Amino acid sequence: MDPGIALSLRDVRFRHRNAKGWALDDVSLQVRRGQFVSVLGANGAGKSTLCMLVNGLVPHTVPGDLEGVVEVFGADVAEDSVAKLSSRVGMVFQEPESQLFCMTVEEEVAFGPENLGVPADEIKGRVEWALELVGMAGYNDRSPFSLSGGQKQRVAIAAALSMRPDILVLDEPAYALDPIGRVELYKVLRELKEKHGMTVLLAERDAEEASLYSDHIVLMENGKVAAQGPPKEVLADPERLVSLGISPPQMSEVASLLRSRLRSPDIDFTRVEDAERTIIERVLPAGRGAAR
Amino acid sequence: MTGFVDLYTEGDTVLHRMDPRVKIFAVLMLTLLILMISSLVHLLILLAFIALLVALGRAPFSKVSLALRFVLRVMIMIVILWPIFDPSGTPVLATLGPVRITEPGVMRGITNAVRICCLATVWYVLMFTTPQRDLVRALVKLGVRFDFGLTLSIALRFLPTFSATVESIKDAQRARGMEFDKGSPLRRSRNYISVLIPTIISALRTADTLSLALQSRAYGARRHRTYLRELKMRASDGVALAVVVAAFVMPAVAKFFLKVPV
Ligand SMILES: Nc1ncnc2c1ncn2[C@@H]1O[C@H](COP(=O)(O)OP(=O)(O)OP(=O)(O)O)[C@@H](O)[C@H]1O
Ligand SMILES: [Mg+2]
Repeated sequence: MDPGIALSLRDVRFRHRNAKGWALDDVSLQVRRGQFVSVLGANGAGKSTLCMLVNGLVPHTVPGDLEGVVEVFGADVAEDSVAKLSSRVGMVFQEPESQLFCMTVEEEVAFGPENLGVPADEIKGRVEWALELVGMAGYNDRSPFSLSGGQKQRVAIAAALSMRPDILVLDEPAYALDPIGRVELYKVLRELKEKHGMTVLLAERDAEEASLYSDHIVLMENGKVAAQGPPKEVLADPERLVSLGISPPQMSEVASLLRSRLRSPDIDFTRVEDAERTIIERVLPAGRGAAR
Repeated sequence: MTGFVDLYTEGDTVLHRMDPRVKIFAVLMLTLLILMISSLVHLLILLAFIALLVALGRAPFSKVSLALRFVLRVMIMIVILWPIFDPSGTPVLATLGPVRITEPGVMRGITNAVRICCLATVWYVLMFTTPQRDLVRALVKLGVRFDFGLTLSIALRFLPTFSATVESIKDAQRARGMEFDKGSPLRRSRNYISVLIPTIISALRTADTLSLALQSRAYGARRHRTYLRELKMRASDGVALAVVVAAFVMPAVAKFFLKVPV
């Protein structure tokens, strides 16, 4: 077993109990330690099912037929309990409201380590560390209910991080957020990746941030892997993404537009700076030429 | 179904610092004392003492008046209704057909109204000065199972969430032209069903995610969990305990052994 591999799915199929079709159909993918991997797909593509498979909620709590092999750090998920896996796999759900259940932010973040029997002194340190990391230091005594959507999701991330997981799984964490909440959330994820080298599996239906932070992207359609690879390759065709029900990143839409207008298939960028340079170097001279 | 109000206000008074277990015990003792005392004068003295506790806990005026408005309404009802349903004794003050009002009846009405006021205020003092998490924490420490404590705290925590859900569903139904305060009782109760059903569905969905979230955070991973904040009894808590026990035992002895009316 390669110790550098955090998560590995081999020929996985899963059908929910009482469901007709396969929610996951022949899915194979790998997440290496320290990698940021995004799973993109439309409604019903199987993102949530995939996320819950990683910490064992599928198939232990959410029942159904599982085929193939799912390994988290070399351990077979089917054989471990959720309680045991939960200390290694941090999980953040879609709805901010229903995953926070304590009276105060501090209790929320302490809940996981308390369940794991971590000594009080250490929990205290972990709570401060996690709240600091998500930009919520000083909110200890606030009620989660009184926070904004973005703040709630960051508390949920802190509550997962305080268990010191080896991998963080986020199922459409920005789904219910306003644009500002979304920016704040992704700032935290970016910091987790860049400063802390956290292994992340992110499910999204909007490719904007995934295009910037991911090392590897998996496109899903009806439970099947439609494509996977480096962001540049996988996200190159915005029309394809739209047909899969995924919002393409704005920059790749601009790039695709320029490619067809300027008839130059080599144009490609994902960052604003590159877009700016391309436009200055290639669009503006072409425009001047046309004006003359 | 208006927004739910948490009576607790943060503070650093003697009452805030007191161990919540001691506070719960004290409130139970005072409750027994209030039920035991039957003299109006003694009840009024006790009420003055409880009012002192409210002041000591520095509850903000807005919350006190909110609480008092409710208590006052109940007191007025008791003062009016009690003499009507309890007309024993003399002298008779008034007769109105089959209804007879006597002086002892009126006195008993007033006494019981004051008693209710004492009872309510004592519990309010607890609510004003103790955060819900400490109440739940104290209950678990006193032997209630952690699961029950957690369930209780989740229920308390989600009260405001559900009242917000109800309000937004009502708004949605109003936007479709539903009027909640008009029409026959049948019509009105039907209107409320149109709020109840979406609320229940939303609650069930929340409960579903909640149970997944609880498991994802290692709930039940070990038999012995630790606690970030432990409750600590201090010397001052011992003093408070002694005072409360004395305050209960002395009148009890007077009443039941010395047969002194209290
Ligand atoms: N508890 C369940 N019971 C039966 N079928 C289910 C259950 N949960 C999901 N499914 C089905 O499995 C498939 C994949 O659902 P899943 O929730 O994983 O998709 P998703 O990509 O997360 O979609 P969404 O964008 O709605 O969150 C869907 O066809 C869905 O109807
Ligand atoms: Mg989903």
